[in-house]
Amino acid sequence: MTAFWIAPLLLMPLVGAPLLLRASFRRFPVAAGVVLAGAAGAILTSFVMTLFALVGRRWSLSAVAAAATLLAWALSQLPAFAPDPALPSAARPGLASRLAALVSAGAIAAAAFATYLAAATSPDLFNFWGTKAQRFAAASEIDVAYLKEPFHGFLHPYYPPLVTNLGAFASMAAGRFSWEGAIATFPLLVAALAVGLPGTLGGSRSRSAAASALAVSAVSIVGIRAFVAGNGDTPLVFFETLAMALLLRSDAGDPSLQWLAGLLLAGAATTKVEGLPFAMASAGLFVALRGGPFRSALETTARLLGPASLALAAWFVFGASRGLFHEYSEYGPFATLHLEHFPRVASALAAALAGAAHGLPFLIPLVVVVVSGRPSRASWTAIGTAGALVAFLLFAYLHMAADPRLWVMWSAARVLMPVPVMLALAIAADGPAEEPSPR
Amino acid sequence: MPRRRLDIRTASALAGGALLAALALRGVPWFAGLAPPPTPFTHGVTFLEPAYSLLRDAASRIPAGASVVVLREPRNPGFESHFYRFGLALLPGRRVLPSAFFDSFTPPETWATAEYRIVVGGRPTPGDDELVLTTPSGTVWQRKKR
Repeated sequence: MTAFWIAPLLLMPLVGAPLLLRASFRRFPVAAGVVLAGAAGAILTSFVMTLFALVGRRWSLSAVAAAATLLAWALSQLPAFAPDPALPSAARPGLASRLAALVSAGAIAAAAFATYLAAATSPDLFNFWGTKAQRFAAASEIDVAYLKEPFHGFLHPYYPPLVTNLGAFASMAAGRFSWEGAIATFPLLVAALAVGLPGTLGGSRSRSAAASALAVSAVSIVGIRAFVAGNGDTPLVFFETLAMALLLRSDAGDPSLQWLAGLLLAGAATTKVEGLPFAMASAGLFVALRGGPFRSALETTARLLGPASLALAAWFVFGASRGLFHEYSEYGPFATLHLEHFPRVASALAAALAGAAHGLPFLIPLVVVVVSGRPSRASWTAIGTAGALVAFLLFAYLHMAADPRLWVMWSAARVLMPVPVMLALAIAADGPAEEPSPR
Repeated sequence: MPRRRLDIRTASALAGGALLAALALRGVPWFAGLAPPPTPFTHGVTFLEPAYSLLRDAASRIPAGASVVVLREPRNPGFESHFYRFGLALLPGRRVLPSAFFDSFTPPETWATAEYRIVVGGRPTPGDDELVLTTPSGTVWQRKKR
């Protein structure tokens, strides 16, 4: 059953293939191309499922898969994807790349065995993620009546739809929801990052490999210690990491890469609430740090945030039209802060991070950034986004009128999982005054 | 020197990654052996294990459409809030009624009519209900038709 449930998700690269097969993306190694195609396919599949729900059409596997693949093909016809970039020369992996592969293999093994041995399972899979996906699969739609039932408010009807959409898609293919399959997505996504991230980052091969190994190891250990297997945090960090990797490339000015990054940011924004501030912060910093004329900045912003805006617009129109939700709001009215909680939030945050391997998954990437010398201009996109995530989380925690310490303790480590990843990626950022590639 | 900076970046990232991967591997419960664990929570959020185990075993005894409540003995609104959510997850097709919600008990009339009572933990006072299932994690009771 687990294999039948996972198989449709593993086929997502086929949905995204029409886009990633375009000449513009030949710059990626095959492994990175397959992972990026899978990410794009998953995002487009979820988007199509949301559109179906919006227009009141029930899901069918063939219709959703065909529509998502057609959408990928239609996107691929944008003029931005036509240019054939200069292909990088295929350098042989050096010692650093091999060591990095070994480190990543260890991180994948840890995630896989911890998941298999029932040491990383997320309670939230059973609290709401899986419950909703299972129900939506049975109904072949986003079951509004179920979400509106008394005492079902804890299912967070407003949470973005990607995880439950894809869970329902896999369940419809397999015949029923697989809890084990959902839990297995954690090591699978860690493995996908390990395989796809070095080629997505580009630049110096050894440095990209090392940064990827650090990022993947951080995801693995935080994911295990914070019990993320089966919840939305791993897909979120997956999309965020790939998007940021594209933005840090030396050829990130290429519109085709910006569209692809925008698609991945849409994936983040439709996976969890905190994906939206991530998308806004990373896109804003990218545009601000690149400078250039206003028109160019506007076009770049449109490419980076257009897909997320469209995807979230579809979700909010669906929520509003069904009387389900109108905004992201659960713990208090927006911007109504309880600043008196700040000392409690800060101490609980420190305790929560210390609880994840003494905070080392967060401290080590920070130390690596510090000892790496002056960060390149481009790397500030990643470092600044990490800072913005911390600020957003504090902002969110301070909305709670009651004592928020318990909330902070159970959520901070996993919600901050992208922070060490962003710091790890920062050291791979190419800049205008970077050192030459190694021989 | 540029070359030296590159080396520091790569080497420090590799060393940091290796340390984190080693810590991650060290955190895996190898002591448990490689046999499949009884529940997905056996070596993680262990307080949920009995409820998961009992609900999984109870699923085959409770027909589709039946109403169910998941209680804990002794009663505890915090635990029962979790168990209600787990009931919805693991008993699809049944009408799961909440005995507690957001760490507060619901009024008994919310769930008193449930056809099945799943009781995690100690054995409750039997009353007139029929015992359907007993496991180390708890019991399942069917309400007698009155």
